[in-house]
Amino acid sequence: MQRSSKMFKMRLFIFLIVYTFFFSSCKKEATRWHSDWLLPVMKDTLSLSNYYNDSTLSITGSQININLSRTLLDLGLSDLIEIPDTSISQQYQANFTVSNVSPGFTFVNSLKNHELDLGDIQLKEVRVQSGQVELKVYNPLNTAVLYQIELPGVSQNGQVFVQNYTAAAGSVQNPTVAIETINLSGYDIDLSGQQGLEFNQIQSKLTLKTDPNGQTVTIYNNQIFKFEAAFKNLRFDYAKGYFGSTLIANQQQFSLPYLDKITSGSIALPDLNLSLQVENGFKMAVRAQIAQMVSTNTQGQAVELTAPSIGPSMFLAAAMGTWNNLQPSSLTLQFDANNSNVKDYLENLGAYHNITYQLQPNPWGNTSAGHDEAFAHSRLRLKVSAQMPMALNADGLTLQDTFDIDLSQDLNKSHITGATLLLDATNAFPVACDIVLYLMKDGQVAHTIIADAQLAASTLGQLDPLDGLLKKKSKIKIVLPPSVVADLQDLNQVAVSASFSTTDPQTGLATQQAIQANAFLALQIQMQLQTQIRP
Amino acid sequence: MRYLFILFLACQQLGFAQQTLLIDAYGHYNSTGVKRQITDAFLYGGLIDSSHIQTSLSRLGARNTFGLNMGLNAQWQTPWLLSKDTDKWGSSYRLVMGAGVHQYGGIQFSKDLFGLVFQGGLPYLSDTLDLSGLKVEATTFTKIGFGLVNNLTQSSFLVHFVGVQNHLSAFMNAATWYQDASTAQIDLALNGQAQINASNTMAYGLALDLDYRFGSAEYDEAPQQFQLLVQNFGIARAKQTTEYSLDGALQYAGNSLAAWQQTSLDELATGFLDSLGYEKNSVQKWIFLPAQIQLAKVCDWERPNRIEAYYGAQFILRQTYIPFVYAGAHFKVKKAWQTGVGMAYGGFGGLRAQAYSAIRFKRSQLLLRSDNIALQNGASLYLQFRCDF
Repeated sequence: MQRSSKMFKMRLFIFLIVYTFFFSSCKKEATRWHSDWLLPVMKDTLSLSNYYNDSTLSITGSQININLSRTLLDLGLSDLIEIPDTSISQQYQANFTVSNVSPGFTFVNSLKNHELDLGDIQLKEVRVQSGQVELKVYNPLNTAVLYQIELPGVSQNGQVFVQNYTAAAGSVQNPTVAIETINLSGYDIDLSGQQGLEFNQIQSKLTLKTDPNGQTVTIYNNQIFKFEAAFKNLRFDYAKGYFGSTLIANQQQFSLPYLDKITSGSIALPDLNLSLQVENGFKMAVRAQIAQMVSTNTQGQAVELTAPSIGPSMFLAAAMGTWNNLQPSSLTLQFDANNSNVKDYLENLGAYHNITYQLQPNPWGNTSAGHDEAFAHSRLRLKVSAQMPMALNADGLTLQDTFDIDLSQDLNKSHITGATLLLDATNAFPVACDIVLYLMKDGQVAHTIIADAQLAASTLGQLDPLDGLLKKKSKIKIVLPPSVVADLQDLNQVAVSASFSTTDPQTGLATQQAIQANAFLALQIQMQLQTQIRP
Repeated sequence: MRYLFILFLACQQLGFAQQTLLIDAYGHYNSTGVKRQITDAFLYGGLIDSSHIQTSLSRLGARNTFGLNMGLNAQWQTPWLLSKDTDKWGSSYRLVMGAGVHQYGGIQFSKDLFGLVFQGGLPYLSDTLDLSGLKVEATTFTKIGFGLVNNLTQSSFLVHFVGVQNHLSAFMNAATWYQDASTAQIDLALNGQAQINASNTMAYGLALDLDYRFGSAEYDEAPQQFQLLVQNFGIARAKQTTEYSLDGALQYAGNSLAAWQQTSLDELATGFLDSLGYEKNSVQKWIFLPAQIQLAKVCDWERPNRIEAYYGAQFILRQTYIPFVYAGAHFKVKKAWQTGVGMAYGGFGGLRAQAYSAIRFKRSQLLLRSDNIALQNGASLYLQFRCDF
């Protein structure tokens, strides 16, 4: 019996060993295989059509003209005339104790003038576009008091601003406070005072009456009846008066997109006209001065625009007309090859432009006797406009931009082992482009990937009889071999460099080429990927 | 004292009465055309060589099957009789306890789908790939139960409590892939559904195991015996099944530059799924277990013939499983060693050679069987150990 049990245990042991050997297979490495994929990435036609007839480009025959018009400065009434948030208050305090004041007794009915502090601006009349007034009344009496607050100079559609409040009974120590905020949009405010000859004046009138249904009370001389009106965020769409002569001196900086990416090369532009226009939509005289205009490119080279009209003061007359027939006065400064260095200024390809200017209303003082006027659509503008045929001579003009990338892959999962970017292009622009990718780690170039061909210029192509455009097709491959893809883990930046040239196909030299009307660049980008799949 | 006496009686019965331990372990994987090296890479790891992929692809038909079925069953036929009164029918039945773990995985797929998955889209530019007819079924479950076994016929009946750890059922009714060679535009149309129960949302149910032995009157002295074996016939209730459905078409030829500037990759993926009519729901579902029904001739150790035929058929209640049939010759080499060779067809693969050997010891028996001894497109091993003590 004992021997049989021993045999059984031995057999069971052998069986378990065999079973374990059979079922416990060790997975030594991951299952994986290679597969190849083609992914469509981008399909687009880039053209200038979105810029036609929007004051940027226009087509004349088969040629595109740059007809650029941009507003550099645009000031309105609210920018020139501003009433800071202001509080006015009016109060009543009895000189002596009044006993047995019966219900419904009116005990105050007085008018008060308030002067607004607006510096050298002297306003007679304004219309509120937006803003509000916060009214607050205090009642120290031990019965309810009816407050009537009237702002005689503030009206809407002929109705004077009047607000009535009933403030519940309070005490000297704890007066009852009632608060209300009222929207003043659309209200006219007469700031010319009671006689109509003053300015920056606003009046208030406070009327107090005890509660007609209340008790007989005593008004003591230590009880102060008060209201406060806080004007907030007032903006106007009409103003009349003297708008002062405060000098507005400023420096405006603006940058042009893409030009900050230029790293080398140059362009030559055809002759062009550039004009600066100053427009005055206010009924007041204005002095304007363009003190300086400087263009700075990415290499740090600065070119200052020089012309007779840069520096001296210019004077603009007041605008004419009123609300619907306002005629702004304007002054135009012309810059061309004969009177300025505007061509050098633009060929500097400045990414950053600084314009220093001065604007001064009423340079000769209050000559209108307080009759300056500004309307809702009154603007003080500085516009720039340029006209030239769209043509350029690019010689290795190189734009380079650096992007942060995170192409890290988990090599323990499905991942890319090799990639090829396929670019299929039809180019109707007379500009050729060479593409180079710099794959970098912390600013240091680790791999340089050069496209196997150039995006050829349309000048090397043939005329398409269907649309009359010169076109050239290009097929470009940018190969990222497995050795580079394996390194992508450690890279964190890519710099894309595109070098543009307008090379003459006959001479091989960079020449000025006009952009064809309706020129386009049709692009189709595909990505061919070698992958290792790990399920 | 009374409890001690009962314990003494139980130990005595355990020590001296007849009891049996049965352990079955099996593992089969096979395919109608996929080379074994590919499935081996999935089982044991490693790189799938492109030449194996190419060879498999050339051998695949329009519709193909691959599957894996493995498990372990343990059964203890206790010494405890249902009744000690020999006049009662219960005296022929012993209590039996069983437990097991099973894993079924099967997939039916088109040749085009295999090519797309293992070679990528590049070799199939300008070809319309038919991905329809895809069926994927996978279930992993454990069971534990009890029942009765007949001492004379060895027929048994067990009721199991079942826990389903993983369940996947997916099918693709209609699906096509086309990629234009010049524009690389991808046209994808999909219509299908998938139901998934992850391991964190177990499903519970019941299953029956039946082993019914019955004989024919062909030989009077030793009637021919057959076995009807039903295993894992049952159902489980999943309270949280995630149901995915796709019904739509997608055309993608690349985005415009402006779209790339405004669209993130996540938004792009969401757009693709919207185009494909992607929906996800959580539902309650009944899961039918991969019940296995087998009818087979039983080769009797005690029959006088040195050679006899064996045959049988097996079904699994799964759409990805083809009925499995086998037949062959059984040899009695020695009194303690019997073996057999034959052919098998179905399951997850085609026609293949089958062999087995059984060794009988004094109180135990070991059976080793392979339904694919040539390792054609797969492998198979069945191991059974029986011990009477």
